[in-house]
Amino acid sequence: MPGPALSVARPDEHPDRILSLRGITKRFGAVRALTGVDLDVHVGEVVAIVGDNGAGKSTLVKILAGVHPADGGSIRFFGQLTPIDSPTDSLDLGIATVFQDLALCDSLDVVSNLWLGRELTRAGALDEVEMEKRSWGLLRELHARITDVRVPVASLSGGQRQTVAIARSLIGDPHVVILDEPTAALGVSQTAEVLNLIERLRDRGLGVILVSHNIADVLAVADRVVVLRLGRNNGEFRASETSSDALIAAITGAMDHSRRGGDDPE
Amino acid sequence: MTSRRPTPGSQTSLREANRARIVDSLKVYGRLTQVELAGVTGLSPATVSNIVKELSGYGIVHTSASSRSGRRAVEVTLARQLGLVAGLHFSSRHLRVAVADVAHTVVAENSVPVALEHRYDRELDRAALLLSDMLETLGAGLPDLLAVGLALPVPVDRTTGRVSAPGILRGWEGVHIGEELEARLQRPVVVDSDADVGALAEYRYGAGTDARGLAYVRVGHTISGALIIGGEVFRGTTGKAGQIGHVTIDENGPICRCGSRGCLETLAGGPALLDLFRGDPGMQRLRDLLARAESGDASARRVIADAGRHIGIAAANLCNLFDPDVLVVGGELATAGETLLAPLRHSLERSVLAGLTDSPRIVRGELGERAELVGAVALAIESIGVVGDSAVASVGA
Repeated sequence: MPGPALSVARPDEHPDRILSLRGITKRFGAVRALTGVDLDVHVGEVVAIVGDNGAGKSTLVKILAGVHPADGGSIRFFGQLTPIDSPTDSLDLGIATVFQDLALCDSLDVVSNLWLGRELTRAGALDEVEMEKRSWGLLRELHARITDVRVPVASLSGGQRQTVAIARSLIGDPHVVILDEPTAALGVSQTAEVLNLIERLRDRGLGVILVSHNIADVLAVADRVVVLRLGRNNGEFRASETSSDALIAAITGAMDHSRRGGDDPE
Repeated sequence: MTSRRPTPGSQTSLREANRARIVDSLKVYGRLTQVELAGVTGLSPATVSNIVKELSGYGIVHTSASSRSGRRAVEVTLARQLGLVAGLHFSSRHLRVAVADVAHTVVAENSVPVALEHRYDRELDRAALLLSDMLETLGAGLPDLLAVGLALPVPVDRTTGRVSAPGILRGWEGVHIGEELEARLQRPVVVDSDADVGALAEYRYGAGTDARGLAYVRVGHTISGALIIGGEVFRGTTGKAGQIGHVTIDENGPICRCGSRGCLETLAGGPALLDLFRGDPGMQRLRDLLARAESGDASARRVIADAGRHIGIAAANLCNLFDPDVLVVGGELATAGETLLAPLRHSLERSVLAGLTDSPRIVRGELGERAELVGAVALAIESIGVVGDSAVASVGA
């Protein structure tokens, strides 16, 4: 009969850990937006960051995207201590961020949006054929529900626009993709599209950071859920072992999971 | 999307693969013009045009004149016979939806990840909206549906319409599930457990077409099972027949969500297997375990093999009681193939009553993770026959 559960021995180093944040602190004047926040992201893992408004989710995303440099704490990328001081640093490391406003050019078509700023050229001219070919390749790989890549992005649905924005982030072959509220303001079918897309990013071995308000969506696709509250970590949960009630309790502060609760100076 | 090909590399197989690509794309998008089909499938417009012509000759697709951005275009849909049905399958982690015609041809298919601990009302709302969106892409609407088949990962009592085994799917307990969905769709709904419809699908269209008695074991996040005896699903009095996941393997084992101890599921179900890798961030879902095993990781293979051994013990008991000639293993873990099946077979053969011929044939399901969806569609189509012609007549009127 079965013996006691055998635990598989774990090596001490973490070759799968893409990103490791420790004690990240950020102040805006007198406002402490983040205080000692920790976050890990591994290969092929979807980590959700949830929290109320003002919990520090966006600030954390902006630190990773290089919009604001962190005031304190360490950022390690594949174990290497790496400061992120500018958006270029972030991109060079292989962190792609899809902001909530998507930053698409409405009047340009899908191909132009995907390659904007990174256009392929041949003999000094734009290589439209190659770009279109590769765009189709990428969109097909993502099973994207886009039927025409030569229509202006303005004519696409919300889900399709989100798909284009996510596909664009993949052009630079990133290690981590950050999605800021990807399902906000989307209908049911479009949300389904985006959630399926997140699963595909995971299957590609990318680390995905999902910032969302929607607990049901988070529990559907995330592997781990990191709760932020008032700029601090307030618990980390395995999505398969938690419930929406437990998450909401952590978000509202009904449950205190902060590890530094005892020696809080305030 | 899987497609069975004759001889790989040959001209015929290439053509067949291209045909399958076009049909699969139509299932995903509903309606597409030929130009869009070329873009989506990556085939040349000429090839698309040829294949569409051919398929339309066979009556598989339907073409109509249309226009896109001011230009004339040929719009292609999968041809369907009068009357549509829908199949819905909630597995532990996914909601799958298919729309098919009464000849079992799936004309649209979609899926979306769902949370493990979800509530019935939110998910039914979502399913209803997804379904109506899918019908819209087909140029149809909810009133065109003749019936809806719903498969749930829990035994359902068909007389009360409620979950008959508490504790297994908490968010769905205490409500008449069929009526809840009927209220949202205004169409007739039939509800059954996913194991029962999966067994039906494998028996009719999959690995068990030649079976006289079939036992189906669905191994994934949960373990469930079903029996087909004399060509009919044997449900028992409250739909719980064949629930192999809750056969006791170890009296003193871990506590199961069903309230018992040492059930098969606490030893070989998805969470139990993943729990052995606790602390390993690369091992969060069954597909991680399967990928590791595939890449030759010894501990992953061992864990799957042990699961197979445990399932084999329970399956042997099932076989001793019901004497099927085929045991079909389906669900996500079945994709591990012989890594799971060989130890399963071995431990089953040790404890099954030896017959004069062979012990039951143990095979992997042919329909894969779509078995339950195919079964849900079949369930819906079957229910139209039961209701009689009135349903068809009311749509025709």
